[in-house]
Amino acid sequence: MIRRPGAAALPAFFALTVAFFCVFAPRFATARTFEDLLAGYSFVAIVAMGQALPILLRGIDLSVGAIVALAGMVAFDLSLIAHLPGWAVLLLALAAATLAGAINGLLIVGLRLQPFIATLATLAAYRGVVFAISGRQRMPELSTTPLDDPWIVSLDTSFDIGGALGLSDALALPGIPLSFVVTLAILLILQLVLSCTRVGQALMAVGGNAEAARLAGIGVSRHVVLAYTLSGLCAGIAGLLLVARLTTATESLGNGLELTAIAAAVIGGVSLRGGAGSFWGPVLGAFLLGVVLMGLTLYGISQFVQQILTGAILLAAVAHARWFAQHRVGPAAAAPG
Amino acid sequence: MDDALPIRARAVTKTYGTQTVLQPTDFGVAAGEVRALVGSNGAGKSTLMKILAGAIVPDAGEVRVGGASAPLGKPIEMLRRGVACIYQHSNLLPEMSVLDNLYLGHFAARRFGWLDRRRQREQAQALLARHRVELDLDGPVGNLPTVKQKQIEILKALALDARVLLMDEPTGWLSVADVARLHETIRGLRASGVAIVYTSHILDDVFAVCDTVTVMRDGQVVADAPISALTRERLIELMVGDTIARQVEAVAQRPAPAAPQDAPRLRVTGLCRQGVFRHVGFDLHAGEILCITGLVGAKRTEVLQAIFGCDRFDAGAVELDGRRVAFKSPREAIAHGVGLVTEDRHREGLLLNLPVAENLILATLRRYCRGPLLQGARVREAALRWIAALNLRPPEPAMLVQALSGGNQQKVLLGKWLDLRPRVLMLDEPTVGVDVGAKAEIYAALRAERSRGMAILVVSSDLEEVMAIADRIVVMAEGRVVRTCAAHDTSIPQLVRDFGAVVPA
Repeated sequence: MIRRPGAAALPAFFALTVAFFCVFAPRFATARTFEDLLAGYSFVAIVAMGQALPILLRGIDLSVGAIVALAGMVAFDLSLIAHLPGWAVLLLALAAATLAGAINGLLIVGLRLQPFIATLATLAAYRGVVFAISGRQRMPELSTTPLDDPWIVSLDTSFDIGGALGLSDALALPGIPLSFVVTLAILLILQLVLSCTRVGQALMAVGGNAEAARLAGIGVSRHVVLAYTLSGLCAGIAGLLLVARLTTATESLGNGLELTAIAAAVIGGVSLRGGAGSFWGPVLGAFLLGVVLMGLTLYGISQFVQQILTGAILLAAVAHARWFAQHRVGPAAAAPG
Repeated sequence: MDDALPIRARAVTKTYGTQTVLQPTDFGVAAGEVRALVGSNGAGKSTLMKILAGAIVPDAGEVRVGGASAPLGKPIEMLRRGVACIYQHSNLLPEMSVLDNLYLGHFAARRFGWLDRRRQREQAQALLARHRVELDLDGPVGNLPTVKQKQIEILKALALDARVLLMDEPTGWLSVADVARLHETIRGLRASGVAIVYTSHILDDVFAVCDTVTVMRDGQVVADAPISALTRERLIELMVGDTIARQVEAVAQRPAPAAPQDAPRLRVTGLCRQGVFRHVGFDLHAGEILCITGLVGAKRTEVLQAIFGCDRFDAGAVELDGRRVAFKSPREAIAHGVGLVTEDRHREGLLLNLPVAENLILATLRRYCRGPLLQGARVREAALRWIAALNLRPPEPAMLVQALSGGNQQKVLLGKWLDLRPRVLMLDEPTVGVDVGAKAEIYAALRAERSRGMAILVVSSDLEEVMAIADRIVVMAEGRVVRTCAAHDTSIPQLVRDFGAVVPA
């Protein structure tokens, strides 16, 4: 891995924030809070990791929230209307999300659309598809039926590490939700792919300088499509986890999630100018947002102030990154004349 | 020419819009040959190199590698066939490590594309040792000085063990010692049978390292000879051509203008910007056209931008009519009567989807207003005046700028600045991509303003242009002024020699 100044700032800030709320926010330092945090923000972290890929390639994926809803609604329909077995429901829902992501990539590469415009269009289109296929609209009687397929329900399990280690008498450890384990698994896979494989190197190269990558013989289009496809897949996984937690799917599932995911990725140090970033950053960024929101809620601060603070964190993260970009050693930061 | 050459282009052509940059051209290099490719700016050298490297697709023609026809416009296919290229502009990824950059696109890998960094590091260390270069393989490339970055670009090509090596201005950023070392490397590669194409403006380098030379002019090959058959003077003549030689004479016959007696309108002394330019100084008098010329990368644009206040300078002074100024923004510079016509008219100069009239008065909007209201009749009147003065075609103020030809767009941009009646007007490459007729009209407009007492500073790489309009000439190389002289005291061959001047550190 490459040495980079300022990389330790985010973990340090995260630790400080957690410590601050542990000391000052009532009932923050409890197993219950951490359980809620892990269960409530793992899916954000997963979407943020997916979002990091288009951003790494100098693009953006505005359609992830709609893809979350799409995966959820496909699962809802297939399970409650088509009565497919749970494993098939999960696979098909993920396939739908992956396809939606791939369509984003193909539109951007094939029609040479700006990623912002292409995914803004598909954001509307996928949300429309969700309404069109919504089992809740077609069979209103189903809207109160919970998803009870064992495969889907099992996504909402939680591991009692305290009990497993026989420590539950001594101290109250938070239960680890499956969604967090999935987050860690995705993080491990994506980070390994990014830093240890040719594909990862090519993604970084295409994001850093597409022309240089092309001249080095790297297939640019292929990797752009791959990035959006994986972003769709991540949104699909997050959608299924969310549906399992809510035991139902709604048309408005994941509304506005794209903005949270972009914020988490940017806070996590993924450069909007492409070619720089990691996957652990967005995960940390997502949980940082979660810690701040939950901490402030417990502290008794109003929802509006929380939004202002979220914005402030985003600004601080970007300003911090710019500061390091401008104060790097050597004249290389200046454009060659 | 033999078809079994390591690389061979046959009748390749390239046209951008209406401009043919490469006429049907044949070109080839033999194994163990170092062939120089020379010509002035815009002669088509870089285009030919890019076609050979697969970076661009020619409109017609074919490229053969080792006797077999190669797919066009596919860099990967050329790399696979052992054709590597060092491009003039950086192709490094600043955020990635030196190691990753060196082997980008063909990094050593085990199964499933799993990078074998240890093996690659060993190879890289051997490569560095072989070429006696010291580099930290793990540092990000963006933090390195430009010279080191250029070394990495060269090593990147050497790492391929290519059979054909294309080098487009490889020595632009290297010190004398580094150039000598590069030439040593080139001789080593030649001995092992690599075919090398070496593009350079620096004729000393061409004579030092090349066996044969191909001269290009206006998109055509005009000469092809062993280097030993040519003298330096003959080579320069071939590069610049007869037409310019005649123009040079015409300029030389122009009576020398009286040496300006008055104090300079703009005086720049010891202007420095860390890592960009150093100790740049010149005087610009009222009623004078001063041209700053040099190669791309000589940092001329940067000097203009520093004076104009859109960039900073670290040391030195700018005096306007004897008063010291340091503009913090273009707005301030304009308020003091200093204008800058930028090089990129699309990005920085014109509002393409607005009419000609609006573009012409954009910088002087206030003058055409009564209170908050724009006075249409006066705008139209002013626009018609400029349209006539600059001979804009078609002469229609309501025409959208994007519908005009490049030359007419450039005239609109010039008119916009002239309407400000600046006391000092700076122009950066004022006729790039402009046809001959429009060029002449732009020159006429500049001469007219000069005779009305405007002080005009032109940055230009086009030597023909410099000789046609300059009263005095400043030559810059590598961020320094290497020569200042009156236009009638110099010649194009002399300027070409100055371009390659080795600046003492």
